[in-house]
Amino acid sequence: MSFEVPIGPQHPIHVEPLMLRLKVDGELIVDVDVDVSYLHRGIEKGLEVRTYLQGLYLAERICGICNCAHSLCYCLNVEQLLGKEAPPRAKYLRVIVEELSRMHSHLLWLGHYFHTLGFETLFMYFWRDRERVMDMLELITGNRVTTAYNTIGGVRRDITPEAESKLRKALDYLEERMRYYDKVIDSEPTILARTQGVGLLKPEDAIKLGTVGPHLRASGVKHDVRLDDPYSGHDEIPFNVVTWDTCDCYGRVKVRMGEVRECISMIRYALDHLPSGDYRLKIPPFFKAPEGESLSRVEAPRGELVHYSISNGGTNPYRYKVRTPTLANILSVTYMLKSRGDYEVYIADVPPILGGIDPCICCTARVVITDEARKKRRILTLSDLERYSQEKGARRR
Amino acid sequence: MDEKEILQKIVERFGEKVLDAKVIGARRITVRVPPEAYKEVVSYVAHDLGLSFLSCLSGIDRGENLEVVAHIGYSICVLVRTSIPKDKPEIESITDVLPAASIYEREAHDLLGIVFKGHPNLKRIFLPEDWPKGVYPLRKDYAPSHPKPLRGGGGE
Amino acid sequence: MGLRGKLIRKCRARSPWILLFDTGACNACDIEVAACLTPRYDVERFGTLLRGSPRHADILVVTGPVTRQARDRLIRIYEQMPEPKFVVAAGTCATSGGAYWGCYNTYPGLDSVIPVHAYVSGCPVKPEAVLKALSILVEKIEKGEV
Repeated sequence: MSFEVPIGPQHPIHVEPLMLRLKVDGELIVDVDVDVSYLHRGIEKGLEVRTYLQGLYLAERICGICNCAHSLCYCLNVEQLLGKEAPPRAKYLRVIVEELSRMHSHLLWLGHYFHTLGFETLFMYFWRDRERVMDMLELITGNRVTTAYNTIGGVRRDITPEAESKLRKALDYLEERMRYYDKVIDSEPTILARTQGVGLLKPEDAIKLGTVGPHLRASGVKHDVRLDDPYSGHDEIPFNVVTWDTCDCYGRVKVRMGEVRECISMIRYALDHLPSGDYRLKIPPFFKAPEGESLSRVEAPRGELVHYSISNGGTNPYRYKVRTPTLANILSVTYMLKSRGDYEVYIADVPPILGGIDPCICCTARVVITDEARKKRRILTLSDLERYSQEKGARRR
Repeated sequence: MDEKEILQKIVERFGEKVLDAKVIGARRITVRVPPEAYKEVVSYVAHDLGLSFLSCLSGIDRGENLEVVAHIGYSICVLVRTSIPKDKPEIESITDVLPAASIYEREAHDLLGIVFKGHPNLKRIFLPEDWPKGVYPLRKDYAPSHPKPLRGGGGE
Repeated sequence: MGLRGKLIRKCRARSPWILLFDTGACNACDIEVAACLTPRYDVERFGTLLRGSPRHADILVVTGPVTRQARDRLIRIYEQMPEPKFVVAAGTCATSGGAYWGCYNTYPGLDSVIPVHAYVSGCPVKPEAVLKALSILVEKIEKGEV
């Protein structure tokens, strides 16, 4: 007897639509089909009807959480087309804001992930500490989310000494909080039981399926765009690429916690060695880019983000292609959700495994359950699935 | 291996099948091949040269032709491109060489109308279910417009 | 109906349960509305709870420009909500289409699909603005103006 499981659109916390058709046998998942169509807004065509500077504001809104990565990737792309490079001070300032944005994204994910496992308190703690990061972003860039900090040729604001000292204090506070969370996660038996051995993805499969980001690094593969294809002074700023070799959801949690610590040390280094000089090149708002093409890659919080553009000498791009990291990780979700041999996946494991890739799809998630034997269809909402997951967590305790 | 060595290896291996090959920036190489040699070159770059990661696969409308570009490589990115005619936009799928291509090929099929022969699951992926067939939004002859509003607006 | 109506409106205004629906947003507005639940902004002190089902909700908070695919689901959710129901358009995208002008898959604003009672602008909205909008709406509900 097998069912197909649909996940509905209303998710109270973090709505990201994605259509999953799971074939289940009792509680065990046997087959998966993925459909990503609810969030398609037509942005690539929209960028073709805008000038390069207007397109920056649309590109930033491809994803609100990774907005810094998108705007940075776009600016690098256009700068490559123009044959220009941002001044050294701008590169370090870009790194500071990018790493702050990575911290806020990881803390958001960690809070949401523990919420799906049933730990409301950890969710509230993580989001409360995340507010310190949002305050720092607001102090430096002027906005909490959608910072509009990067511009073609540099950054839009300089950092004041007052902002710098507040930032250092916030980093000390966050470092101490991360040590506390490490202790909690490693000592809580329910978290370990729900994450260890769940959502296995071996390194060779991960590379074959085109996986990127912390998801890939949790399978032991040392790939990070900041290391392999440095883009904004990353060849000067020392950092460690955090990997974990357990290939499961526990590894994904540990990799992201480690990355938050690395962000803190990178920001401190950038503040200590901030070059002096201009923070912006003078580029007119309307310009014609020379003919050619350019490919820029950035390590967004979720993985490698690619922007590829072609110019035919006009004021608008001829073609602008964006490949977001979650699109690259979708195939690994289908692979991880299928039971094979001794590896069993239950319906209650869907939120932790799906959440493990940190989906940023911005669409309504829908999962359809069909019972083949009884020829019936059942529709569960994502909150129903999360309730299954939280109840499983409560039963274990 | 740096980008010049990779370029040299590709040109030596494929000879006249390579129509154009150049370095376009730091860690960026582009190679243009005819459609018959596309899968072979992708397989060589991915397996023999060891750049086993497919970063992306883009489709471009060039007026009379459609272009398919495969971006391969973690650190150095090799763009393998080929042109196919717009009135018969068919090309071989590379999913058996690089399984990650399955999702990008579905995207190119949905938005540009390129048919990938041998793809295991070439279905609609981004456009809504009621989108008219045969209309491809990323082609240059499509003018974008908002859908018609269902009501007057202005609130109650 | 006078005294009874007043009492019912007062009770309704003291516990407005909301449902958050994303019709294709970039997620910035969603996380800012979700931040209202967290200890710093704490929307629960106003009696507001975030529900998972439209049948339990009084106020529908919608973010994002409505994409073609999400339109039918939005209308279905709106119809499933029991009367009286109120709709808040959170963010510039829900108010007028926002940054997505010229994009072929989005509607020019939420009020071209369902009736709206309150608009909160911002790209993205600030949590304080959402709290203010909810408190103004709740005051109007209590007075019977909507």
